[in-house]
Amino acid sequence: MTSFQSQLGEDQGIADELAEGQREISIAEFFEKNKHMLGFDSGARGLVTAVKEAVDNALDACEEAGIRPDIYVEIREVGDYYRLIVEDNGPGITKEQLPKVFGKLLYGSRFHAREQNRGQQGIGISAAVLYSQLTSGKPAKITSRPKGEADAQYFELIIDTDSNEPEIKAERTTSWDRSHGTRIEVEMEANMRARQQLHDYVKHTAVVNPHARLELREPGLDEPLKFERGTDQLPAETKEIRPHPHGVELGTLIKMLEATESYSVSGFLQEEFTRVGKKTADKVIDNFRDRHFGRELGWSADEDAVEAAVAEAVSNKGADATDFFASEVASTLGSRERTSHHELVEVVDNVADAAEGEFDTRFGGTVRDNAVEAAWATMTAYDEEVDEDELTGDLYGLVDEATSTRKDDAVVAGMAERLARRFAAGDERVRATHAGVRALVDEAADDTEEFDDATFGDTARENVVEALWSRMVTVPDDAPKVRETAAERDTASELLESMRETDILAPPTDCLAPITDELVEAGLRKEFDADFYAAATRDAEVHGGDPFIVEAGIAYGGELEEGGQVDLLRFANRVPLVYQRGACATTDVVKRIGWRNYGLDQPGGSGMPNGPAVIMIHVASTNVPFTSESKDALANIPAIEDEIELAVREAARELKSYLNKRRSMQKRREKQDVLGRILPEMADKVAEVTGRERPNIEGAMARIMNNVGVERERDGDTVRLIVENHSDRTEEPDVTDIVSAEPTDVPEEATVVDLDGEWFVKWNPSVPGGEEAVLEYTVAGDAEFDVNVDGIETEKLTVNA
Amino acid sequence: MSADTPESDTKLNEAEAREQLIDLAADIYDQFERGDIPQMSLPTRTKSNIVFDEDSGVWVYGDRTSTRSANSVRGARKLLKAAYTVEFLAQQLDEDRSSTLRELYYLSESWDSDEAGFSDQDESNQLVEDLEIVSGVTREDFHMRPEESGATLMGPLELREQTRRGERDIHCQEDVGEGGYQIPNNPDTIEFLDHDIDFVLAVETGGMRDRLIENGFDTDYNCLVVHLKGQPARATRRITKRLHDELDLPVVVFTDGDPWSYRIYGSVAYGSIKSAHLSEYLATPEAEYVGIRPQDIVDYDLPTDPLADSDVNALESELEDPRFQTDFWEEQIELQLDIGKKAEQQALAAQGLDFVTDTYLPDRLGDMGVI
Repeated sequence: MTSFQSQLGEDQGIADELAEGQREISIAEFFEKNKHMLGFDSGARGLVTAVKEAVDNALDACEEAGIRPDIYVEIREVGDYYRLIVEDNGPGITKEQLPKVFGKLLYGSRFHAREQNRGQQGIGISAAVLYSQLTSGKPAKITSRPKGEADAQYFELIIDTDSNEPEIKAERTTSWDRSHGTRIEVEMEANMRARQQLHDYVKHTAVVNPHARLELREPGLDEPLKFERGTDQLPAETKEIRPHPHGVELGTLIKMLEATESYSVSGFLQEEFTRVGKKTADKVIDNFRDRHFGRELGWSADEDAVEAAVAEAVSNKGADATDFFASEVASTLGSRERTSHHELVEVVDNVADAAEGEFDTRFGGTVRDNAVEAAWATMTAYDEEVDEDELTGDLYGLVDEATSTRKDDAVVAGMAERLARRFAAGDERVRATHAGVRALVDEAADDTEEFDDATFGDTARENVVEALWSRMVTVPDDAPKVRETAAERDTASELLESMRETDILAPPTDCLAPITDELVEAGLRKEFDADFYAAATRDAEVHGGDPFIVEAGIAYGGELEEGGQVDLLRFANRVPLVYQRGACATTDVVKRIGWRNYGLDQPGGSGMPNGPAVIMIHVASTNVPFTSESKDALANIPAIEDEIELAVREAARELKSYLNKRRSMQKRREKQDVLGRILPEMADKVAEVTGRERPNIEGAMARIMNNVGVERERDGDTVRLIVENHSDRTEEPDVTDIVSAEPTDVPEEATVVDLDGEWFVKWNPSVPGGEEAVLEYTVAGDAEFDVNVDGIETEKLTVNA
Repeated sequence: MSADTPESDTKLNEAEAREQLIDLAADIYDQFERGDIPQMSLPTRTKSNIVFDEDSGVWVYGDRTSTRSANSVRGARKLLKAAYTVEFLAQQLDEDRSSTLRELYYLSESWDSDEAGFSDQDESNQLVEDLEIVSGVTREDFHMRPEESGATLMGPLELREQTRRGERDIHCQEDVGEGGYQIPNNPDTIEFLDHDIDFVLAVETGGMRDRLIENGFDTDYNCLVVHLKGQPARATRRITKRLHDELDLPVVVFTDGDPWSYRIYGSVAYGSIKSAHLSEYLATPEAEYVGIRPQDIVDYDLPTDPLADSDVNALESELEDPRFQTDFWEEQIELQLDIGKKAEQQALAAQGLDFVTDTYLPDRLGDMGVI
């Protein structure tokens, strides 16, 4: 940056001269020069970003209105430019709002809302308009028909970059065949080099928005890409939540304080923040008072001295009343371990009230003040010159208790004396904030170390501070009001610290709409032809006052590409992240997971795993932390990374057991294949050598394969179905025997259903490993049978019935 | 001297052998029929599973067995190969033909099953040994022979051999050349007619055998020199045993002074681990060890080589081998480990070419009470 500071002795007029060149720049102008910050850094990328912004807006609008999105995207070559058309069936935009929505940067409904939305700043679509007007010079053409209106409104507009205001080039009422929706048409300098990213974006959008129908036409496609709905269920409606006390920053807090209509801070907290009720507000206010006013330290009282002092301080109240008052105050204080200044005030007030009732004498404010002053002076008497010290004794007890027993008695006493001197020199009511106490203890400890040649370490100091602080009591003074707090930065900062310090319930999560694990899986199923799918949705967590939810899904095998790295799909608030994969927290997390443990190949044991798999990660939050305005990559926030890792691992565990099972099934199949060749050959050979007939090898086969064998035996009209379990665990097959004649004498454990002259004998035995179960029934001689067995993997099943 | 007519003996064996083999196949057949998984039990063939049989004085397999079961792909392949081999052997016996182990290996290529072929010759050799063990029939009775026997006899022995061209009477000094009489694959076809032998001397190396013959040791001492040619073939061990049993001759073994040579003596005297099922048929427990003994290395100051690591391992493993657990062997092996040296038979030439025949052997055999 150039320094604009004028330098003394040099050119005197330079500051004035420079001032002439300094002027306000509009936000639109700024972004004109910094297109890359919004994702418009190249022609290829600009097109993808424009599609992305328009589609995100369309989806948000539809969902908000409870409409199942139906979105049409078209890219056409028009001379030197590309024309982008995005059409939705959303609720439409009113004639008044429309120019600002598309023609003014930073205009939007979401920036101030704590709610999960795709868009957040209100920059995206207007940036696309700006980019197109900058590169092609043509206005954006927008048609919108609000729901329920007979006609649509057509606008041609550009953004006045000087003022960041829309400039309407044409405007007319028109008719549109859609009953509601919005259509935007922009022309821009672009190219289709990022075709793959564009397709990925649309495809991945379809994965996480199974409720949306998407269609993409572009010059390189012979057929439009169509993504049909996978579900009719719209995402759960999100509720806007107020900010969480743990999630605001000082500037925001001051702004909120300035804007609120509440008078008290307690009201402000309850009104403007989520999860703050009366109780929580009180806790915050107590902390706030401690920070603002400090706490008061109480002292023990010598009854006789107090009685004498109070009696002395009261005049003209009659002997009886004076005695009663003085002795009551003294005995009340004497019965208390320690009393702070404001507690003393309260005690005196109570006793004075009682005395007034008893003696028909008025104890006015002056008398009460005098009495408090006299008693307090007695309790906290400290004067080194006359060797008067009421403080050291109390403090000695505290310090002694707080420090380890190995501390020399002289050190403890020295520390107590030094503390007493400092308390006496400080606030009259012995008030101090936590930081004040800390400073005081530090000073005293430093002196103790210096003069008593002792060590008084950090732990000991900390213990003393805590001992003091825990015995100090919050003062009853009214907390500063909203107006004062807003006006004074330090006070506002004290309030913020109090809010952060107070335990407050995590924010509610109904402001979030996770895709849910079922729909994550459904989305993957819809777009990827794989053998296996798994998905996991974590519970909501909080980062900086913003709740977030992480979801992960894995698809494996099938038509997915075999060679090379797995495909990582990243999503934030249902928006696919297409660029800057390497800079994204999700990528970092996936790379540091040991995928070999989960059955995927990972060269070197870290980095992207290899294999025919897709891993998807979705982070939903009221405020997704991106690394930049172009929203391409998630920032490395440890709390979020942890959740991402847990979600991915959860899904990966399912993958692992699937792969293990698949491998053992594969082994079993191979074994079955080989033995299926060998055993018959062996049987043939031994039959040949011994000159006998070929032996029956089914039984041996079933045993070898740990198989479950189902066999039928017939003896006249008696039919026996035998399930032999040769495995080492219990099997529960669903056996259905379809018989062409009516079976009789069927035991209770089986049921018979008559279906048009066929009888279904259903039997569901539980057969422990190594045992067999038999079903016996009777049927007429010429019946035909067809047995069907479910509930056992086909590899393990041998049916011979 | 054997009075049996070898003719009928062989015929009977053939029929028996064939039956035993077919029983093996029938056993597998029956297991199939019962719905059981076919399997075959065999004694475990490791040195931890050989035991000394007091009655016969040889080492035989203990009672630990391992099972070849069709439950695994490996086991099933072995059983399938066994079934094919059984068929082949039965057919061979039927047709009164014979073949070599190597031929069996190549022949398996022609079998109609892809799974039954042998992957290497060790596998087929081992399978034949398996079949010997489970059927109780020797390989020779299956008409299987090794490719080379080649070991020879030289000495005052007259014998009659059944050959394809009829009976031949042969004197093992007068009717043979310098090379000596070649032991046939099945020495049970030999009949001993007459002899002048005082003792049988089994020699490991060809060089030493030639030295003894050149120096006329066989004629000077009425000695039958058996050339072992390294680890002796079954036929060599069988004929040695027959010479001892039938002609009541003392047998002594003369080898190099290293751990591998002690094993050669071990297999002549006690039987080998691989063929412990045939120990009674092959081993000559009365055979005694002449040398080279580690003690000789010291006493005669023989030229030596240092023990290699593998030699040390072999010696240590012999200390744990039940066949070598005698005072003599333990003392000698420990001495050898101690001096860390080994010597060949020919090292005796360091004291002159005639030293072995004039001094070493007469002295040693005299000490042993053989001459």
